[in-house]
Amino acid sequence: MLIEIKELKKNYSLGSSEIPVIHGINLNIAKNEYVAIMGPSGSGKSTLMNILGCLDTASSGHYYLNKVDVSTLDDDALSVMRNREIGFIFQNFNLLPRLNAIQNVELPLIYAGTHAHERRERALQALEKVALTDRIDHKPNELSGGQRQRVAIARALVTNPGILLADEPTGALDSKTGIEIMRLFDELHREGNTIILITHEQEIANYAHRNIYLKDGLIHSDQPNRQKSKLS
Amino acid sequence: MQYGENIRLALKGLTDHKFRSFLTMLGIIFGVASVITMLSIGEGAKREAIAKYQDLGVNNIIIREKSLSDNELEEVRARFSQGLSLQDAGVIREIVPGVEKIASQAEKNTDVKYNDKSVKSTVIGITPDFLGMMNYAVQQGYFINEKHDNERLKVCVLGAGIAATFFKGEEPVGQMVKIDDQWLEVIGVLESKSLFTETVGELAARDLNTDVYVPLSLFLNRFTPENILTSQIQQITVQIDNADKLLEASKIIDEILKRHHFHNDDYSIVIPFELLKQEEKERQIYNILLGAIAAISLLVGGIGIMNIMLATVMERTREIGIRRAVGARKVDIMSQFVTESVAISITGGIIGVFVGVLLSLTVTLFTDITTFIKPYSVFIAFSFSVIVGVSFGYLPAKNAANLKPVDSIRHE
Repeated sequence: MLIEIKELKKNYSLGSSEIPVIHGINLNIAKNEYVAIMGPSGSGKSTLMNILGCLDTASSGHYYLNKVDVSTLDDDALSVMRNREIGFIFQNFNLLPRLNAIQNVELPLIYAGTHAHERRERALQALEKVALTDRIDHKPNELSGGQRQRVAIARALVTNPGILLADEPTGALDSKTGIEIMRLFDELHREGNTIILITHEQEIANYAHRNIYLKDGLIHSDQPNRQKSKLS
Repeated sequence: MQYGENIRLALKGLTDHKFRSFLTMLGIIFGVASVITMLSIGEGAKREAIAKYQDLGVNNIIIREKSLSDNELEEVRARFSQGLSLQDAGVIREIVPGVEKIASQAEKNTDVKYNDKSVKSTVIGITPDFLGMMNYAVQQGYFINEKHDNERLKVCVLGAGIAATFFKGEEPVGQMVKIDDQWLEVIGVLESKSLFTETVGELAARDLNTDVYVPLSLFLNRFTPENILTSQIQQITVQIDNADKLLEASKIIDEILKRHHFHNDDYSIVIPFELLKQEEKERQIYNILLGAIAAISLLVGGIGIMNIMLATVMERTREIGIRRAVGARKVDIMSQFVTESVAISITGGIIGVFVGVLLSLTVTLFTDITTFIKPYSVFIAFSFSVIVGVSFGYLPAKNAANLKPVDSIRHE
């Protein structure tokens, strides 16, 4: 299993009282799965995503990523984990505005300690995968929304991470561009990437092969996507 | 993460906000510039003082007649003191331990004439040892020697100023000048001396370049004293073989003279080396004060950097979140921001060094304050600016590193 989650709980402290957000989740995700995690706001899906992405740690329970128990890692080890295993794709792209496209894509490799020459080569390859090699010198504000999200995807891909973790990746895009991005995800999935989508839109979730519904901090349902199964 | 990346990032940060970076740097620029200027003023004053006392000879004790009014002089004479005399000099040479050389000098203010030119001058009767004891050098010809003194030869050595006035383009050596009713042959010209601008004890400030030196024997024999009460000689210069013995020797000299002058207070003893030490001590306090002012301005510069860096961290919370999300460790963020503040302070430091050097030169150019920039003071000022950058960049950088990635990535 790529991801194994056992009895995972997360509380937030508010003053003196602890507010439970995730009540105890068990979840396995295998390599090359394409999973959508859905749920209404307050269901704990953002919290789960933060924990899956090693941005936050659980209050109790265990999260194994590639057999490493993430819940025991310190801050530095979590950073290394994010660098190697997680490719984040955010709703609002989260590109650095002062860097151009290729510099943004190179960023994770800088923290991986890759040398400049190799960095550029790999960043170019990643940009090739998202079909954006003609825009490498452009700053984010010189790119369209769809192009920005492609740069962000290239940045997520550049370290060859275990998981692509996409948080509402089409939320800031018009529907046509959104569809293009979702097609790109399909392609990446076919190439062997493991993709986890966080979304509240059923339409987007339909692209995934497995849909997980969260409700009140628990898994409400976890089933294969029949529509998608039909397609493939 | 490679350090080169941090430096590149920091420089990019500086050039992206040129005006802001410049304003932030101003504090450091003025701080470093003032440290350099203050130190150069202190060093200039020190060198000036050393030069001044070197002219008087650092191993010398100078015994000088007090300048007394005619009434006071009469009183002193009535109480049996004959004033300074060659006899005093002889006794000092015999009794005081460690005396290496001793020179007596008699002085008279009078006009020196050459052709139709006349210059008000101090004519000084001197023994040959004098030249070696003072920091004087002959520019042309030679100084008065034993033979001149023994044979009372009618020769003189001119100060550079008086020689220049008399002999424009002419060869001074061999010419005859007239002092009082005596014709003397010029045998040498002294090198130009800096003006003696400050009164040291009984040694009044005056222009040394208009002095004329003649053999003491000749002086005592041929020149009439200014009045009947005038002492035989006006100054005795004693060279001691060891600077540590100066105070002890001066005490002995004082005892001797007290007895010989029947406890009349008509002479004073000046020890240039002791004055130099004393002056240095006084100047030290002044230098510490100057240094403190400069240090405070550097400190204020540092606070300016901290202020801007704290604001920058706030402004760039999202950027920090993104960097953390893609794998930056705390130490990476930390070193990024420290490098940035050090880049500001180093750039400010370099500019500050230039401004400081320029300021020192300007001070010398437009005032009569001497300045001297020691290389080590540039080094000190520059290292201080780096230290300021590191120490005042530390707190903002720590704040940046301690931001929680999960919060900062969603910061709007």
